Amino acid sequence: MYKQSIILFGIVIPIVIAAVLIGACAFVRGKITASFDEKVLYYSGYENSRLGALAIEAQISRQREDYVRWNELLEQETFSLVTTNLRAIGETLPPKEFQQTAFERLGTSAGIGSVSAQKSSGLRFNFRGTFRTVQKAFLELETRMPNLQLQQLKIDPNSSTESSLLNFQVTYTAWES
Amino acid sequence: MATLEHPASLNAFQQFRQACSILSETSRASLPAWYQEALELDFQLHIRVDGSSVRTFFYNRPANEWGESPPLSEEAIGDDEQTLIFAGQLLKTVRGLKGTSVGVILHIADEFATAELKPELDNPAALGDLRDTAFNNPGEILDDSSVPPDQASWRVMPYPAAGSEVIGTTITISKRLSGFVAALRKLGEDENFPIVAHTLSAPLVAIAGLPSVIRPTAEKPFVAILQYPWFTVLAFFNEHSDLRLIRTLQHRGMRRPSNFRNALSTTNASLEFVDPDLFVLPLASDVDQKFAEDIAKNFPDSSVETVKFDPVGSLPPEIPEPGFAIQAIPEEEDSESHTFGVLRREKWFHQDFLPPEKEIIELFPSRHEMRLLRFLKLGRIGVAAVAILGLAWLAFGVVTVIRQPEWAFNEGEAKAVKQRLVNLTKERQRVDHWNNLLEDRSKAWSSMEAVARLFPENSGLLLKSFNHTVRPDSAPGQAQVGFIKEWIITGFARDEALSYLNALNTREGISAHFSEISKVTGNLAYDPAPNTRTIVVNVKTQENSSFKPMPLEQIIDSDEATYPYSFNLTITQRFESADALSIAATKAP
Repeated sequence: MYKQSIILFGIVIPIVIAAVLIGACAFVRGKITASFDEKVLYYSGYENSRLGALAIEAQISRQREDYVRWNELLEQETFSLVTTNLRAIGETLPPKEFQQTAFERLGTSAGIGSVSAQKSSGLRFNFRGTFRTVQKAFLELETRMPNLQLQQLKIDPNSSTESSLLNFQVTYTAWES
Repeated sequence: MATLEHPASLNAFQQFRQACSILSETSRASLPAWYQEALELDFQLHIRVDGSSVRTFFYNRPANEWGESPPLSEEAIGDDEQTLIFAGQLLKTVRGLKGTSVGVILHIADEFATAELKPELDNPAALGDLRDTAFNNPGEILDDSSVPPDQASWRVMPYPAAGSEVIGTTITISKRLSGFVAALRKLGEDENFPIVAHTLSAPLVAIAGLPSVIRPTAEKPFVAILQYPWFTVLAFFNEHSDLRLIRTLQHRGMRRPSNFRNALSTTNASLEFVDPDLFVLPLASDVDQKFAEDIAKNFPDSSVETVKFDPVGSLPPEIPEPGFAIQAIPEEEDSESHTFGVLRREKWFHQDFLPPEKEIIELFPSRHEMRLLRFLKLGRIGVAAVAILGLAWLAFGVVTVIRQPEWAFNEGEAKAVKQRLVNLTKERQRVDHWNNLLEDRSKAWSSMEAVARLFPENSGLLLKSFNHTVRPDSAPGQAQVGFIKEWIITGFARDEALSYLNALNTREGISAHFSEISKVTGNLAYDPAPNTRTIVVNVKTQENSSFKPMPLEQIIDSDEATYPYSFNLTITQRFESADALSIAATKAP
């Protein structure tokens, strides 16, 4: 008379409970695993972004100071800045060996600037001076203003003056922001 | 153990709890004796009640020894208190022998009666059903319906002999000892010690033991005459030793039945037995010892033999039933007699007249159910282990997962870092853009340094003009644009400078100069090594038409007329769009 109750409560119900428990465990674990996989996805994305950001940060941190300086430079009006710099440079050089004879704003970009969508403008200057002094002036000017790209440089002897002086005509393309 | 309730009155869960309680609190699962018969147990107490005395005999089955046992009186049988004292002594004896169970076999020798079956039940094939019906509902099979079933027990005894007029009879024993038997069983339950009681009819056991003590004449019927103090049993067997009839003759206060001669003669006649062998079995010490002698006088044509029993252990010769009861059941081929073959194997002679009440039996799970319960207990442990493993698997998985740094990760951080990466990428693109545009691809000062180093002082060369241009190598639609740098230099040369100009007018020569300029100025635009750059040089020399030869001491370096040759040097350097110095065509991001 006990057989049915023994089978029912002795094994059937325990198996059902265990199956439900194991099923619940599998379900919970599945949910946790799915949630974890999602987090892993985010985390790996985060890690990649973080490492990428660190690498970029390390790369641009070395250039950020230059970039800030460039930015300040590029935000200023190019022609007047060149003029100001040439005046300052000229004050440090012997007047007889470095004389600015002409300057011209070319307006729209030409030469190198014509192939880039980046804004640029053309500048042309004429100088009279000695080779090395003018070279020094160019060195100083191009150091102060790295946005100047040489487009043309003509050097001719100055037939009307002393033989040690030369005529320089320089044309720059100036990058602007 | 709590009081048990009949499972029919319990719901399924209560039944299961009660079964588990029996499993845990009793030895029913571990001791098979609870479900064995008394005659199968190792230790047995045989009690023989014949009306004039109560005798007890203890049988040690493993040692095959009959020994002394606690004494029991007729009065003690009817007194519960004395019964418990007796049973306590019995348990002490068995436990002393390290026994785990005991069988108590009552041999009822003080009463024996037969009752006829209903004539309509005369079907040999239905004997099995009749046996069960006699046990559960005797009124259905008895011819005399006035017999009260609560005061006596009936057991069917078949007559297997061919030609019997009826298929059998019923043996009747009163239930006056049922209280004694129940008390023993109750004590066993209370002590958790199997006391298995079995009540036998002593004459039936004696009949079953006949083959071991008599040798009937072949092809001749015989009659076994069992002498008990209060009655005499006549068992009639045909020539094949098969039982045809059992009769009982009550002594009614005398030492022998008064109508024995007449009863035997008429029965022989009715069974058509002619001078059967007569075996007289005196089964008590105080029976009439001259009975056999008188029978022989009354039945001179029959062989009359008084059966003598050999004493076995402590068993006296006049009490052979305990010895018969423990005899091994013969194999099928051992006996040609159906009575002493099939009937013994089917235990018709060993039927229990005072079995436990059906309701009491049903209180406990059956042996199969106890085994099932025990097995399922192990099964539940396995199931629980699997469930625990499942939980451990879950816990391990959860712990493993939550210990990972990814688990504690906040998705908001990913978005923030991603945004930061986007910003940094844009910043890097801007930096790269301006880094590209501001490259030293074309500088005036380095070009002048190149000229100075290309034409050193006192080299026999006089420069007339210098024109350096930079122009893009236009290719629409490209992200990077190459460019071309060109130097056109004119001047004058002396004789000693021609070889220098010729050396310069080779790719190796101009490349060596450019490489030197690159190292000196640090301007990578002069580096000829990258294969994205090409450099071409062309020097044209011709006689100077204004040349005027003059003495060496009058020659002035700046005087063009002192140079016999003029030259035109053109250098073209091409930067492809794949070059590191190529120009970004896009606007700053």
